[in-house]
Parts: sequence; C-alpha cells; structure tokens
Amino acid sequence: MKIEFRNVTFYYKKSEVVLDNLSFTIEDGTMTAIIGHNGSGKSTIAKLIIGLLEPVSGEIYLNDELLTIDNLDEMRAKMGIIFQNPDNQFVGSTVKDDIAFGLENRLIEREEMIRRIEKYSRLVNMEEYLEKNPENLSGGQKQRVAIAGVLAMESDLIIFDESTSMLDPKGTKEINKTIKSLKNMNNGKTIISITHELEEALYADRILVLNGGKIVLDGSPSDVLPKKDILEASGLKVIDGLSLIEDLKKIDFESKDVILEAIWESIFTM
Amino acid sequence: MNNLAFGQYYHTNSVIHRMDPRTKILSSLLFMIGLFIIPKNNFLFMGIFALFMVITILLTKVPLKKFLKSIKFVTYLLLFSFVFQVLFNSEGELLLTINHNLTLVNVGICLVVLICLFLLRKKIPLFFILFLVVLVLGVKFLEYPVYGNVLLNYDIKVYTGGVITGAFVISRVLILIISSAVLTLTTKPTDLNNGLEALLKPFGKKTSILAMMISIALRFIPTLFLETEKILKAQASRGVDFNEGKLKDKIGQIVSLLVPMFIISFKRAADLADAMEARGYVPGEKRTKLVKMNFTLKDVIYLLSIILIITIVIIYRVI
Ligand SMILES: Nc1ncnc2c1ncn2[C@@H]1O[C@H](COP(=O)(O)OP(=O)(O)OP(=O)(O)O)[C@@H](O)[C@H]1O
Ligand SMILES: [Mg+2]
Repeated sequence: MKIEFRNVTFYYKKSEVVLDNLSFTIEDGTMTAIIGHNGSGKSTIAKLIIGLLEPVSGEIYLNDELLTIDNLDEMRAKMGIIFQNPDNQFVGSTVKDDIAFGLENRLIEREEMIRRIEKYSRLVNMEEYLEKNPENLSGGQKQRVAIAGVLAMESDLIIFDESTSMLDPKGTKEINKTIKSLKNMNNGKTIISITHELEEALYADRILVLNGGKIVLDGSPSDVLPKKDILEASGLKVIDGLSLIEDLKKIDFESKDVILEAIWESIFTM
Repeated sequence: MNNLAFGQYYHTNSVIHRMDPRTKILSSLLFMIGLFIIPKNNFLFMGIFALFMVITILLTKVPLKKFLKSIKFVTYLLLFSFVFQVLFNSEGELLLTINHNLTLVNVGICLVVLICLFLLRKKIPLFFILFLVVLVLGVKFLEYPVYGNVLLNYDIKVYTGGVITGAFVISRVLILIISSAVLTLTTKPTDLNNGLEALLKPFGKKTSILAMMISIALRFIPTLFLETEKILKAQASRGVDFNEGKLKDKIGQIVSLLVPMFIISFKRAADLADAMEARGYVPGEKRTKLVKMNFTLKDVIYLLSIILIITIVIIYRVI
C-alpha cells in the first residue's frame, strides 16, 4: 500500500505541535523504519495512517486515494497495527478467539476463519498455543499472537508501533525475527516499523528520522546510520557497531555492501 | 495474587464447561431468582437448592477451593446478620436466657482477650473459628460476676425464631455467593459474550455492546489485579506498609494506590479501544462468530431441572 502524507500538521494541544507540516511518501511493498526519541510523534503518525486520529491540516493519501471518514472503514480493512503494550490489545480469552476477533468484525465465514487461524498461527510459531489463554503467555508470545491477528486479516500494510519495547531481550529477538521473515517473504506487503532503537531499523529499506515534528533524515540505512551527529541531536542512542560501519564506508571495494549486511546482521542478532 | 481474582475462568473439561453459555447464563439467573422466592424458613426447599448447587459444583470438576474463596469476604457480614437475628428476633419459643452480670473485671478480661486475638490474627491459622469459640465462651463468661460490684445486669433472650431465621438468611447468602461463581469459573469471557449477545438480541441491536463490555471487563479483572500487586510491591519496597500506621497515613497510602490504578486503567482502556477499532470493531455492527453455540440434550436436562425446581417452589407458594 502506498502512503502519502501531504503537509500534515497535527497537535493534541495547540501549544504543542506534534507533527509540523510533514510530507513524505512510502512506496508500496517496501519496509520503512520510522525512528525518533520518546514523544517525537511516531505513534501519532501510525494513528493518523490507521485513521484513529485525523490531521489538523493536510491530507493523507492511501493508494493515491484521499483518506476520509467515508472510506475509512474500507481503507482500514487493508491495514493492521501491532501496538506497544501486548497486554492492552488482546480481546479474546484464548489465542484462537483473539486471532478470530478481527476476522469476526470483517464478517469472514467460519470455515475461512478456521483456515486462516491455522495458517497464520503456524507462521508465527504459535500453533501449539491456540487453546491457551493469552494472559498466561510471555510478552513475545503475546505479540506474536497480535501479529497473527493482523496477518489473518490479510491486509496490505502492517505497522509495528514499538512492538518490542516492552519485551525482554528474548521476546525482542522473537519479534524482530518474525518481522524480518515477513520482510523476506517478499509478498508485496508494506511494512512500517516504528522504533526508538536504531538496531531495529537496520534491515529496513528506508529510515525516516523524526525530530521536532519534522523529518530530519531520510534514506537507506547505510545513508542514515553514519550521520551520528544528527542522530544524536535527535535524541537517539548511536550503537557501537556503527562506528565500524562508518569506517568501512570509507573503504571503497566491491563487497562493501555484503560486509555491511553481515555486520548489521551480527548487531541485530547479538 | 491469583487468589484475589476469584471466579475467574478455570480451564478444565467438564460437562458444565461444555454446556452452551446461554444455558449457563439463564440457569444462573433462574437459580438466583429461585433462591429469593423460597418461602421464609423453608429449609426443605433451601436443601433442594443446596443439593442442586453441590451436584453442579461436582460436575464442574473445578476444585472446591475456588468456589469457597469468595466466602472469605462475607464471613463477618454473615456473622453479624446471624447475631442480629438472634438478638432481636423474638418469634417462636424462648430457647434460652442469658443473664449477664457485668463487672469491671469480667468486661476487662473479655476486652483484653479480644484485643490480643485481633493483634495476633495474622499469626493464627483458622482465626475465624477460634474467634467464634472465643465469642461463645465470652458470652457465657459474662454471666459470672467476677470480683467487685455488678455494674450492669441484663437478660438476653434467645428465641427459636431468631436462630432459625438467622440460619436461613445465612444459608441463602452462602448458596447465592458460592453458586454465582459457577458461571464465570466455567465459561470463557468470549463465550460469555456470545451467550449474552444471543440472549439480549431480542431487546435490541445495541445490546451486543453491553455483552462486549461485560466480557471485556471480565477479561481485564486479572490484569488489573496483577497491576495492583505490582504497585503494592513497588510501594512496599519504598517502605510503605499498608497494614500499619495511623488512619491519616493509611488514607495517604490508599490514595497513592488508587491514583496510579486509575491512570493505568484509563491508559489501558484507551489502548484497547484503539486496538479494537484498528481491528475493525464497530460497536453494534453485525459480526460473524468463530465459536458455534450448540444447545444439546445436556442443556435441555440442566435447564429443565432448574425450571422444575422453581415451578415447585412457585406452586407451593401459590397454594
Ligand atoms: N492522547 C494524547 N493527548 C495529549 N497529548 C498526547 C496524546 N498522545 C500523545 N500526546 C503527546 O504527543 C506527543 C507525541 O506522542 P507520540 O505518542 O506520538 O510519541 P512517540 O514518538 O510515539 O513516543 P513513544 O516513543 O513514547 O511512544 C508527545 O509529546 C505526547 O506527550
Ligand atoms: Mg509511541
């Protein structure tokens, strides 16, 4: 799904502008990471896309169609979002019921529901937990259930809004692995990954850095990550391995990209 | 902390668990109504209701402990209503007369014993039973004018009516509380939602919202208890003791618990509302259902037996 923000301004209180005349385009089928410090407006962008909030001024186009109250429901059917707190987003009293919740809202027939629950619970490795109460799962497992719930709706766009920030290192790894495998499936889904951890942005096609309501950096990971000063000024923690990447960038040889990829990989799986 | 979240769904496979949620909701409702139309002091009918409850509990395969937990919160209330009946109800025959001769010494001893008992209450297992024994002994003890002048002399007259009505009231409340746990212990919130929605349907389209609210509330109870525990622990680690301290301190402590609880609950509610909306939930709209409810023979039998009991009670009352 192609997403376009045109001069979008948003604030909750007039005195504190969260997004300031923001314009950007996210191409269909790509993975984009949006990074920024706490309170920089990342979740606000996500909520604007999904139609939970309305811009104060400016327009949002989804697949070149203006998002309005009238087509909101129809547009939403093509999008899914996984939020930060795993405890605040499940509704069902079993994993199965919870994955079904979105499908029930979309009036999917029972047989089709059962098929999709099976398929997508397997995709996130939760097929053994279908009858379990989500309450009793680990944070990482809860988030995987949430991912299955979104995938089951077979939407074109998946937004991860800091889906790992409340998880322990093990859970974080599980979810990052799932996101990465989703990306590698190359099934044309558009993925937006919102985070304030640079590590999690490494495998995106493109990174948008948000600060003071504006986009201060925009480009591929290898373009964005070496710009330490801007990242630091945006309140982001620059990771150690990045200095190495910066050094490597100075060397000009053919397999540079391969090595970069390998280093990112190692940082990511640390 | 799980012991606080009484009545929360207990996972096992029993006849009652497999029963249609609509049957369980209806029969719980009928059972409670029935309990209140039993003629006064009719222990035969009360016995039948108790028997029905015991059979149901045995069928659920849920540990008895789970059902009894909720009684803990009403023991003193029950004791109070029993004592109230015994003291002030003068129907029936005179059962016994207790003649109290209060002196400084015997009243003093009773007070000291009571205070000691309450100070030590946390260290004594089965405190309530000990408390009952001490209460009875104390009432007896006050008959003897131990040392010194009798300051006050009075009679307590206990009538059969008081004891019987007291016992009747207590058994009604006990059965009500224990049996009310059956529905939530054996029905998942989602099923409860489906059942309620189906039952409320004739009353309008928007009633499905009410059903959803109830099931969401049930689903969040354990989470909120967990949250309370976390805050309590955090505050205990900062030296706040919720059991000790002056009244003023206590009020401060309770406020310091309630404020974060409210903030967290609102945040949770807002997050959940976003999540539900993002997943396409529109209140009151038509939804398909993953779980098919099926009303089978066991439902018919269970529902018929409770209707039968209530019918007999009604017929008895009418004639
Ligand atoms: N419902 C709200 N009412 C008022 N102000 C809000 C509300 N939600 C967010 N804000 C404010 O808007 C700003 C941006 O919030 P947002 O949640 O988009 O940030 P974020 O980048 O997602 O931060 P985080 O990393 O903490 O999730 C913050 O200053 C926040 O305090
Ligand atoms: Mg956020």
